[in-house]
Amino acid sequence: MERDTLRRLEMLNQLSLTEAQKEDVISFFADREAELVTLEAIDTSETERMVHVMPIMTVVREDVVMQPFAREDLQRSAPETDEGYWCVPRVVE
Amino acid sequence: MKAYTTKIEAATGKVIVADDMILTKEIPTSAGSKMLEGYVSLFEAEVLTRLAAAGYTLGGKADVGEFAIDLVGETSYRGALVVDGKLANATAQILEAGEAAAAVGLDVNGSVRRAAAQSGLISVKPTYGTVSRYGVIPVACSGETVSVTAPTVAECRDVLDAIAGHDDKDGTSHPETLCAKLKKGAEYAPVRRVALLKSMTEGIDADVKAAIDAACEGLKKNGVEVSVIDDSIIAASRVAWNILMSAELCNNVSRYDGVKYGYRAESFSGIDELYTNSRTEAFGELLKTAIIFGSETLSTENYMKVYDKALRTRRVISEAFAALFESYDAILMPACSTMAYTEAALKENKYLSYTENFYTAPASITGLPAVVFGGVQLVGAAFSENALMSVAEIMEKEGR
Repeated sequence: MERDTLRRLEMLNQLSLTEAQKEDVISFFADREAELVTLEAIDTSETERMVHVMPIMTVVREDVVMQPFAREDLQRSAPETDEGYWCVPRVVE
Repeated sequence: MKAYTTKIEAATGKVIVADDMILTKEIPTSAGSKMLEGYVSLFEAEVLTRLAAAGYTLGGKADVGEFAIDLVGETSYRGALVVDGKLANATAQILEAGEAAAAVGLDVNGSVRRAAAQSGLISVKPTYGTVSRYGVIPVACSGETVSVTAPTVAECRDVLDAIAGHDDKDGTSHPETLCAKLKKGAEYAPVRRVALLKSMTEGIDADVKAAIDAACEGLKKNGVEVSVIDDSIIAASRVAWNILMSAELCNNVSRYDGVKYGYRAESFSGIDELYTNSRTEAFGELLKTAIIFGSETLSTENYMKVYDKALRTRRVISEAFAALFESYDAILMPACSTMAYTEAALKENKYLSYTENFYTAPASITGLPAVVFGGVQLVGAAFSENALMSVAEIMEKEGR
């Protein structure tokens, strides 16, 4: 794990690590990378991916008219709202 | 008791406790994270609706580790629960105190099973898709299941009977005909032959070894044939599960950005800083590491080598189990390497949950059912819960 890669991953995931945390993450990656030999030893060349552990069927539901959540309820746990809007810092200067 | 995030003092009758991964309408759900401190859901989890219909009363919420990926709950933003110098699990503490008949909780990375094994409780991780995940905070959707923990097999069976069943609101829910196999009274083939995985007994301490020996002895005494086998494929579950769990977690927690709900940093100069500062301040160290690891496994450079490989390995592991179930009815394995985790051990390796899940990952990555009793776990074929619980009941009667 290169420092540049870690910085890119921090930005991608909207996180900012301390120097000590970066060291821990680099060490964690080294351990995980070393473990990959376990998987590499397993021949999967003829094996299909298994995304779902059980057969998944498309759920088809009846169209039912329902009461949607009220806006005030949806915003009950919001950090900041104003007249029904979620507030964020100015995005367009 | 610190084990509760919220305790409902008025609860009477058949009291159930839900861990803090399960959404409740009237009281907050935090997932053990500062990000969701004080968050109150607009709807209730399907499992709680079903339990209420079956006559259970919610007695409160038990604390969990942040997004339930740790050992036994020690990464909760409220702090670790330490009893007699050992890391304790909130749900287990509540059950041991006799304050609830049973508990439901989300088994993402084995914490529910580890806690049950270390506390001498019974836990049932049902077959993936037999218990609705509607209203459960998603972490690793392809393998996590709502599990039941109780002091007795009978209580586990009653709760599982109440919550198992098809749910249209969960796209991964099995048809009712399959879910019915878990119900009380459903026919099942009894466990006659059990395999003990040798690779899983090599790194365990003396207490866990004693629990495995006692289980083997009890099984044999009751006419069950126990064979020790070696299987390197199943032992690879941990590495593959760590990849899949982290990748799914990374996606699932990307929704927490400090805008729509949850924690928002006090200081920021623009929208990007709002996102970054909120997530950085609210998320704990283990979670941040898991997010970054998951993100990297999904990167262009690593997708095929790491993530795709883990998905293909999952099939190889599932097929290995299927082959074993042609000769054996269940697989015996530990649920943890030690009967107690200490703060010192965690200080030495803060990512212990990424290695300790060696014992729990096989059932997580395959979606197979597992029953914990007497400090060990028995993993069975899909929908074999009744058979596994019948074994646990025999052991329970013998005091094992």
